[in-house]
Amino acid sequence: MNMFSDLQALTDFLSTGLRLSIPLVFAALGGTLSERAGVFNVALEGCLLAGAFGAALGSFVFISPYAGLLTGIGMALLVGGLLAILAVRLGVNQLVAGLALNILVLGLTSYLSRLLLTGDGRRIVEGFAPYPVPFLADIPLLGPLLFKQDVMTYLMYATVALSWWMLWKTPWGLVLRAVGENPRAVDTAGMAVDRARIIAVLAGCAVAGLGGCYLVLSQVFLFTEHMSAGKGFLALAAVILGRWNPLGALAACLLFGLCDALQLRLQFGQPDVPYQLFSIVPFVASFLALVLFSGKVKPPASIGIRYERGGK
Amino acid sequence: MATLAALVATAPTAIAEALKTAIVMPGIKTDKSFNQAGYEGVKLAAESLGIDFAFSEKVPQPDQPEALSDYARRGYKVVIGLGGEFQEAVDRVARRFPDTKFIVVNGVKPGGNVATMSFDFPALGYVMGYIAGRADNGDKVAYIGAQKLKFYVELGEGFAKGFKAARPGGEVLTAWTNDWDDVAKGKEAALSLIGQGAEVVFPSMDNAVVGSYQGAKEKGKKAIGIYYDAIVDWPDVMIQSAVFDMRHALVKILTDAKNGTLTGKAYIYGLETPEATRIGSYGPSVSEQVKTEVNGVIEKIKSGEIKAK
Repeated sequence: MNMFSDLQALTDFLSTGLRLSIPLVFAALGGTLSERAGVFNVALEGCLLAGAFGAALGSFVFISPYAGLLTGIGMALLVGGLLAILAVRLGVNQLVAGLALNILVLGLTSYLSRLLLTGDGRRIVEGFAPYPVPFLADIPLLGPLLFKQDVMTYLMYATVALSWWMLWKTPWGLVLRAVGENPRAVDTAGMAVDRARIIAVLAGCAVAGLGGCYLVLSQVFLFTEHMSAGKGFLALAAVILGRWNPLGALAACLLFGLCDALQLRLQFGQPDVPYQLFSIVPFVASFLALVLFSGKVKPPASIGIRYERGGK
Repeated sequence: MATLAALVATAPTAIAEALKTAIVMPGIKTDKSFNQAGYEGVKLAAESLGIDFAFSEKVPQPDQPEALSDYARRGYKVVIGLGGEFQEAVDRVARRFPDTKFIVVNGVKPGGNVATMSFDFPALGYVMGYIAGRADNGDKVAYIGAQKLKFYVELGEGFAKGFKAARPGGEVLTAWTNDWDDVAKGKEAALSLIGQGAEVVFPSMDNAVVGSYQGAKEKGKKAIGIYYDAIVDWPDVMIQSAVFDMRHALVKILTDAKNGTLTGKAYIYGLETPEATRIGSYGPSVSEQVKTEVNGVIEKIKSGEIKAK
């Protein structure tokens, strides 16, 4: 393997890892926002898929990737709205609501894509082209890797930074984290718990939907049924591994993406290494993280619990 | 009066002669893929051969023996389990219904009243490899699979053998993505392989193949389609497609069943039954001379002169 000796090969390898991790990063950020506010978001898979479908539909109808982006966010918001109504307003078990939404979105997008995106949904749509950032793109190794990407990748950097800043540096973030830890305190302070949770769920789903948009508008330029392929569940693992922190989630997703890239690369040089080995890394890592960090870092204290005024 | 008597006399026999066939499927009949092809195949056979048919969708593995024996008990003479996972269930129930013939699609253990049906994956893989080797696209090509299941491993091995027959010094890279549906990973796999020098990619996953085609398209490389003539969707990418036609394969085996010639053996449809296993359309870059050579190769595989496996 001369992968690490050759700069071009190394850039290729890292780019593959980055591209594979971007949908995961968006989904994991969405999950982090929602879970910080005390709502399990198992519907990340559905948000990704809805985002992907919306992106394909918008770009197909309006022949513009930006329209696709907006439609994708809109579709993911619909999923978020349903989740918010079910899990926050009606107090349905959050895991059940999320799983049900995933199934609903899978069926609905398959059906609608056959109906609306002609030709088996294999229609190629307009997507984003790479846009090198002046000067930065010329840095060796890091330049082509980080700054010769398309708009969605830069959007990912911004979303990570923004959600970290929002969660830890603004009063808004304080309220969001507080409703996840101790909703009664928030209520006592005179702020609406459910409203904050609903906003967090909507924002989380919209961000996760961006991951689906990335799949369609930056990666394959078409929609296929079940194209999210379990990334939403992998993102749930990243939320835990990232310890409910946007930066942690980013790191976890990059690790997962690099594992995937390594799996694809190592097979040529080392055919004896079973390819399944790399596929289990994300789950082993999350499992280890749960064990190693147990006691030190806890999930938001009120996660999964519906807040009832005057309740116990 | 005599004609009327004749009509009355023949009517029951006509009904009795209509073969009753049932297909048990693991998924839904509208999945645009394996299950749909199975359902449509039996339907097509029923219409063209004048046989009765019934079907069960989405039968999970624990319920498969019961679903199969229920049809046999109700007098269905041919019961099809769609998918290799039915082998075990058929093994368990077949002996109890000696008057019923069971067919396991992609099954591995024929015998008695159990027939198995599959395609000759290595043979068509060999032809695809040969075409890739003669299409003047360089010394490296790539095969991408999802999981190392027997049929897909054999398809890749046939492909490699065919390629090396056409290009003795050539190399076939192989990658397994561990996912049938992940389009993004399908694309990255293709890009990785192209990065290693592959000029033609032959992916064999389900939905994820379109990602690989997209990767080949972006890099200006070529690809080989699978199951259907993929050139209709990817005109500038495809050089050929490996068409495994489940619909016509089922019509073929049910024709045998209707004629009473179905026996407990492995029905493997290869190149000698082009309605089931055939090549698709060539891409514009393939020359007439290569096409003639390929026809020769197909004939040699049929005659047994070339062993694809």
